[in-house]
Amino acid sequence: MFGINKIIPVESNYSFMDYRKIFIIFSFILILCSILLLFFKGLNLGIDFKGGTLIEVNTKNSDIGELRSILSPEFNDVSLQEFGNSETIIIRLQNESNKESIETVNQVKILINDKVSEFRRSEFVGPTISSELLWKGLQAITFSLLAILLYIWIRFEWQFGFGAVVALTHDVIFTLGVLSLFNIDFSLSSIAAVLTIAGYSINDSVVIFDRIRENLRKYKRLELSDLFNLSINNTLSRTVMTSLTTLIALFSLFIFGGEVIKPFAFAMIIGVIIGTYSSIFIAVPTLLIFKFRPQEDE
Amino acid sequence: MKNYPLWKSTLVILVVLAGVIFSLPSIIYKEDSGNWYLDNKINLGLDLQGGSYLLLEVQFDVLIQEELENISDSIRLISRNLQTKINNITSSEDEIQFRFNDSKNIDKIRKQFINTYSNVKVIINNNIMKVVINDYFKKNIQESAIKQSLEIVRKRIDESGTKEPLIQRSGKKRILLQLPGVKEPERIKQLLGTTAKLTFHMVDEEDISSLRANIAPFGKIIVEDYYNSEIKYLIEKKSRVGGENLVDAKASFDPQQGHAVSFRFDTTGAQKFGKATSDNVGKRFAVILDGAVITAPVINSAITGGSGIITGNFTSQEATDLAVLLRAGALPAPLQIIEERSVGPGLGADSIYSGKIAAIIGMLCVCIFMILVYGVFGILANISLIANLFIIMSLLGAIGATLTLPGIAGIVLTIGMAVDANVLVFERIKEELFKKTRVLEAVNNGFQKAISTILDANITTLIAALLLFVFGSGPIKGFAITLSLGILASMFTAIMFTNFLIYLWISISNKRTINL
Repeated sequence: MFGINKIIPVESNYSFMDYRKIFIIFSFILILCSILLLFFKGLNLGIDFKGGTLIEVNTKNSDIGELRSILSPEFNDVSLQEFGNSETIIIRLQNESNKESIETVNQVKILINDKVSEFRRSEFVGPTISSELLWKGLQAITFSLLAILLYIWIRFEWQFGFGAVVALTHDVIFTLGVLSLFNIDFSLSSIAAVLTIAGYSINDSVVIFDRIRENLRKYKRLELSDLFNLSINNTLSRTVMTSLTTLIALFSLFIFGGEVIKPFAFAMIIGVIIGTYSSIFIAVPTLLIFKFRPQEDE
Repeated sequence: MKNYPLWKSTLVILVVLAGVIFSLPSIIYKEDSGNWYLDNKINLGLDLQGGSYLLLEVQFDVLIQEELENISDSIRLISRNLQTKINNITSSEDEIQFRFNDSKNIDKIRKQFINTYSNVKVIINNNIMKVVINDYFKKNIQESAIKQSLEIVRKRIDESGTKEPLIQRSGKKRILLQLPGVKEPERIKQLLGTTAKLTFHMVDEEDISSLRANIAPFGKIIVEDYYNSEIKYLIEKKSRVGGENLVDAKASFDPQQGHAVSFRFDTTGAQKFGKATSDNVGKRFAVILDGAVITAPVINSAITGGSGIITGNFTSQEATDLAVLLRAGALPAPLQIIEERSVGPGLGADSIYSGKIAAIIGMLCVCIFMILVYGVFGILANISLIANLFIIMSLLGAIGATLTLPGIAGIVLTIGMAVDANVLVFERIKEELFKKTRVLEAVNNGFQKAISTILDANITTLIAALLLFVFGSGPIKGFAITLSLGILASMFTAIMFTNFLIYLWISISNKRTINL
């Protein structure tokens, strides 16, 4: 209408499948790096999963250095970090036992009381709870993946389920790798992000698969890789459009949504980008290894 | 609007209208009004309105240890009466083992013991007797302890003046507290962290050698001073009267002694206290709070009136809090805070503000983008998107869900993803138009073909969201709720409402061709 719709391909005809080897190698390297990062550097577990104390304060006439010099001599494992601006500071403490919680928070508050204009939040997660939260988070991820797989398996042939799960695993591992690389606090909301990314990734693959299934019935003579190309091109404008609108919303959340939600928005942005990429370059090529034509051709 | 079924347009209009009507209270009004319609608004989570979330765990093992202690006392008394020596006593989690000098009297001891304790299993092996607390009894102790704790926590919170607290049992041994608007969770934590078990014991001032050696003889215990752990007292193990006999306690001020707590016993308590004091004039008695001596005055004369005053080195706040604790009663077992999340009002307000900004800007950008790409159809999709948001908000209000910060993130995410269903439809219509199909037919086919894809694509995301709701905790549940509602609402608006709008637009503009 205003010319911008020419950017979004209407009747595109890219031969994605010709370049699949390059992308598979590319993805392989990405995933390998992610796994190495996760293995050697690991995730930066937040207090939700590691336990400990977190206090967020707004300072008055003070800075992070001053607060650090007050708190460091008193506590063994204390770390301070600016949060969005130089006035807001996050204090993290590792407690050895549950009992220390009340005293720790109290002690910190008393020590820095005259340097602080507002105690914005304080969180304490004891070791029993943190291990429960971690366990529940892992359960949520496992069961969701199984449920999604089951659904795909019921609605499509199992090969599609396999392709979708390969793409999804690819996306989740890559996102975790990026979170590890940038040292982003891995918290309860990260679990939410990972699951939403899983949902989004599958969503994207499903739309293309749906078209492949339709085209398999329509064009019975067409070479599989050509048919896949056609299907990806058929749905390409939708894939691009939806990713863009979702990214617009997520960037808005990332920029304007406040510090607390930033890690979530960041993980989601990474996940949506990689999810879009993988549904085209990973999910579909995976189907090629089966060389299948579904039995129920009408 | 020929060819468009009346039931469909009625349904669509009604749903969207209901969405608008029932989301208005959440948008416009702030205060509770008592009006059923206006109060139909979204509840804000603690992370948005500020407040404290606390998870407490009842320390059952303390109770079991107490029970083992009682068993041990009982058996020691019996064996002493039968003149049988116990060589050693070992106890573990829920059992206690006595090694007697010989096995001569062991059956007698067992018989006498079982007469008083029926809820245990006694195993005898030669000169060793093992007493195991059975599971049923353990469960009973735990069940009554958590019920009692819940009651006392409720009383203490009420006394502290917290408005609209939510106090709930969570599982077998936990109590969950949500305290909206609490600015100083420290004081509440202090109130809950105290067992407040108050007892009155007689002090033994004669047996100085035991006190020096730090070994209490049978029937006595050594306790520390509440304020100075260097000072120790040898007291009778059995209390003369306890806090359960108190009927009232108040903070008071004594010009000579400073801040104090005055109390009054019930009839039984007054009798017991009267007897203890009249029998022991000139001796000391100790007021013990949670295992430490607060004060140990000399009894000058019998106290028969049933009321008294406890002085310690209290501050005004400490005296007030102790009075609150004594009025509410003692916890059966200590409570441990295992999770705390407190958000100040400043951060909550900031979160609401930035959440709104993010939603509005995200919304505007997505709308502009849709218009740039799809023109008039983009406008229709945008109207649909706005209707979608109204429906989400009205549903949140209607089901009494709580909006949290991750919940706002879910709404913003929904704004981006909700247009997906519309996009799927538009792209299909575009393809149909390419085949030179007639406009109405193209629209029809587009919708028909897109529906199964829309369902498949959304159900997978819905599955993830639902499982997140089941396994997620606290604020994350809020995300799962808004995302699920967003997906459901977007399926409805894309399939039904956008469809309706397109038909409406085509019939009004009377176009033969459309530009997509």
